[in-house]
Amino acid sequence: MADGGKMLSSLFMVGVSAILFWMAALTLWWMLHAWRTPETLAATSFGAADGVCGLEFSLLVPARHEQEVLEHTVTRLLESSHTAYEILVIVGHDDPLTAEVAARMADRAPGRVRVITDTHEVKNKPKALNTALPHCRGEVVGVFDAEDQVHPELLAHVDHAFRASGAAVVQGGVQLINFHSSWYSLRNCLEYFFWFRSRLHLHASKGFIPLGGNTVFVRTEVLRAAGGWDQDCLAEDCDLGVRLSTGGAKVVVAYDSSMVTREETPGTLYSLLKQRTRWNQGFLQVYRKKEWKRLPSLRQRLLARWTLTTPFLQAFSGVVIPIDLLLALTVKLPVSVALFSFVPAVPALATFAFEAVALHDFGVQYDLRVRPVHYLKLIAGGPLYQVVLAGAALRAVWREHRGDRGWELTRHVGAHLG
Amino acid sequence: MTTLLDTASRAPITPPGVRPTLLKHSLRRIGPDGWTAVAVTAVVLVVQGWNIAGFPAVSDDEGTYLAQAWAVQHHRGLAPYTYWYDHPPLGWLQLAVLSWLPGLFASSAHVLTAELRIAMLPVTAGGALLLHLLGRRIGLSRWAAALAVLLFGLSPLAVGLQRELFLDNFAVLWILAAFVLAASPRKHLWHHVAAGLCAGVAVLSKETVAVVLPALLLLLWQHCDRTTRKFSLVGFTAALALVGLGYPMYAALKGELFPGPGHVSLLGGLLFQLQREGSGSVLTSGSGSRRVLESWLYYDRVLILGGLAAALPLLGARRLRAVALAVLLLAAVVLRPGAGYLPAMYVIQALPFLALSLAGLAQLGARLALHAVPRLGLRPLRWGVLVLAAALAAGWTLPRWYAGDRTALTVDANAPYDAAARWIRANVPDPAHTRITVDDALWPDLVRDGFEPGSGVIWFYKVDLDPAVSRTLPQGWRSLDYIVSTPIVRQDPGALPTVRAALAHSVVVASFGDSAADRIEIRRIVKDASP
Repeated sequence: MADGGKMLSSLFMVGVSAILFWMAALTLWWMLHAWRTPETLAATSFGAADGVCGLEFSLLVPARHEQEVLEHTVTRLLESSHTAYEILVIVGHDDPLTAEVAARMADRAPGRVRVITDTHEVKNKPKALNTALPHCRGEVVGVFDAEDQVHPELLAHVDHAFRASGAAVVQGGVQLINFHSSWYSLRNCLEYFFWFRSRLHLHASKGFIPLGGNTVFVRTEVLRAAGGWDQDCLAEDCDLGVRLSTGGAKVVVAYDSSMVTREETPGTLYSLLKQRTRWNQGFLQVYRKKEWKRLPSLRQRLLARWTLTTPFLQAFSGVVIPIDLLLALTVKLPVSVALFSFVPAVPALATFAFEAVALHDFGVQYDLRVRPVHYLKLIAGGPLYQVVLAGAALRAVWREHRGDRGWELTRHVGAHLG
Repeated sequence: MTTLLDTASRAPITPPGVRPTLLKHSLRRIGPDGWTAVAVTAVVLVVQGWNIAGFPAVSDDEGTYLAQAWAVQHHRGLAPYTYWYDHPPLGWLQLAVLSWLPGLFASSAHVLTAELRIAMLPVTAGGALLLHLLGRRIGLSRWAAALAVLLFGLSPLAVGLQRELFLDNFAVLWILAAFVLAASPRKHLWHHVAAGLCAGVAVLSKETVAVVLPALLLLLWQHCDRTTRKFSLVGFTAALALVGLGYPMYAALKGELFPGPGHVSLLGGLLFQLQREGSGSVLTSGSGSRRVLESWLYYDRVLILGGLAAALPLLGARRLRAVALAVLLLAAVVLRPGAGYLPAMYVIQALPFLALSLAGLAQLGARLALHAVPRLGLRPLRWGVLVLAAALAAGWTLPRWYAGDRTALTVDANAPYDAAARWIRANVPDPAHTRITVDDALWPDLVRDGFEPGSGVIWFYKVDLDPAVSRTLPQGWRSLDYIVSTPIVRQDPGALPTVRAALAHSVVVASFGDSAADRIEIRRIVKDASP
């Protein structure tokens, strides 16, 4: 190849390697936030509850075609040790089977469980939540999904966290558990582990946080003042967090493996892809709403920009890495350039190592048996999972570009129950 | 467990009001610990810096590393000749980075190799400061940590070796940084990862420092919290391994990982070092290793024997165990049966750990004397014993060290080299077209004088051992114009036939130095002589 071509390839390699290195290194840095020091780790969990039921809770449980799991979820909620709470099950007017289960639960626990019917023509989760918001009597609104397994002690701890910190928002941990179901569920579980166990705490401490979709608690007055959830956003949870934290609301995140809300991974790879597409599209929408630009400091705005565009950075690296490898293998580059092109592999390989440790830790904390084959799956599945993520990111950009903003709901079969 | 919850809004870190100026602020931050460290480091620097170019005599290895640093700076690869993976290259890469420094104090009184030693002063200073910090982090009191720095930097053995352009000095700096980071009081994950990075750089500066890695790992283990230990250990190991992998990666990219016809290889270099003819056991009198050991002990017994003796009991002291282990590991490598080649600079890596061990034992002894069996009282007697012991130790050590350090501060051991370099500069008319073979220590001077690097001024052993060089000498020794005969050139002529022939077919045109053994002769090749 001509010298000019070689020079260009070299420059391309060096530039791309530098970008990829920083992406991987920053992501790693943030994903390990909780384990930075023993103090940081200790601070990520709930404080010991004092047994005082100082606040009254309104728990929203939107359910759509989820008659199979709803009863179990509400029953678990009713086992809560807290005394002052109500459960508002939100069902659609066109969903008689779920409505029937909800009505039965309301009969069983009169006064504690109420049924709210959502009559919107086109339904989605934020609309359901907004429908129920005016009916909430409690001082704190909590959101759960119909398939969630909630720990009986959770409310007591959240109550204490609100009173001890004076926070406006408390985000509890959510954890996918069924890591053994498939190769991607293993990776999906670990993603949640890193996100709720570690990364969200960093966001809380930096004052910019995309909230999770459930096990999230907001003071009712704050929520009403903010106008509830954005009905047109595909990631209404993330949007709410961005709006509240941008407005200066104090957010507390607490993770305790004994008290996380347990969930299941999507049943098929395609439904994972759909779910991820929806989130990515939602993140893109939140990014384009530009609420985050009101954050006071440049660092916060950079964090917001980075976090909200992460799926697209993933897609970028998905496109660029193959080109990079192709160049490295076909063009005879100077040794120093070739050596530099391997620099991004350093944080990437370190990430693998830390994922393996986290998988071990996950097994210990949830008392699950992690076998050597799972570590193998973790490593082997890594690149493949990146492809899925990049695919979902590209799909999200495509759908948003076409103005396709409908909900692709994930179906739940209850693999985590039992 | 009391809980600190993450919060979205935090109090501003800097309280409002007048900010102190940056200088004042940073001066205040240094604190008494910092000032102690700076003070003892300054003492070490003065002693090591004074007459740094005059003593000790330049060694061939210094010249080699300097030439390799020169090659890096001038984009000629990792060495002026084919780099054959004799050592990993990070040491002289650092030397290349530091080589601007001696320029600030430029003088041509001494050969360049000796002048460039000024570049080692920041390395020694960094090492001394880190050593103090490490001492504090593993539980030494301020005076004991200061004592460790003085032992480390003022021992005549250290003054000699730390002045020289040796890779081991860089390795010591990085391994000390790794130890300091591993003992992070915050038990911070990224400090532990950084410890791995530093350890990796240390090993790639001089591979033999890998001997103390188990001790580093022990220290890390001790300084991890139970809850985050897994992450710290994996972070450390990953960082160390990934930095270390850079070296074979480099070789693989050049197609030089495995031996093959017509090229050098990393594995070949490694095998050479491992199969290098052993210098015998230190326990056998008269062996090469024994001579090396005796040369160390000639310069200083206190640090070597005292530190070694201190390490054994310190294995029982939890906080000092890692340091003691480092000493014993380094000693075990020397003492193991069938020990291989023992280089003279090997002891450099042991110096900081010997110093810490000795200072640690002194602290334990002092505590024992003052606080054992508190019911007994007897404070004046206890202090009396302590002062007496300190006086005895000082009385034993100081006269010897004074004599050794005075030599280092006053003797000009490089006069013959300096004179030879001056003579060549003044008397060889056309350096650009003259071919001269010299030892590595003189090489940088002649490059500065305008000889063609590599083929005009030639490392003597390359004449016979490097095919790329012999090719440029079609008529063998007759292709050369001069040979500078120094002790190392004369050391083993049997293995170098061309060099031997050049010595035989040449006449002395200038000679420097008094004793026959140390003499430096500049010899002109007589080309019309019969073979």
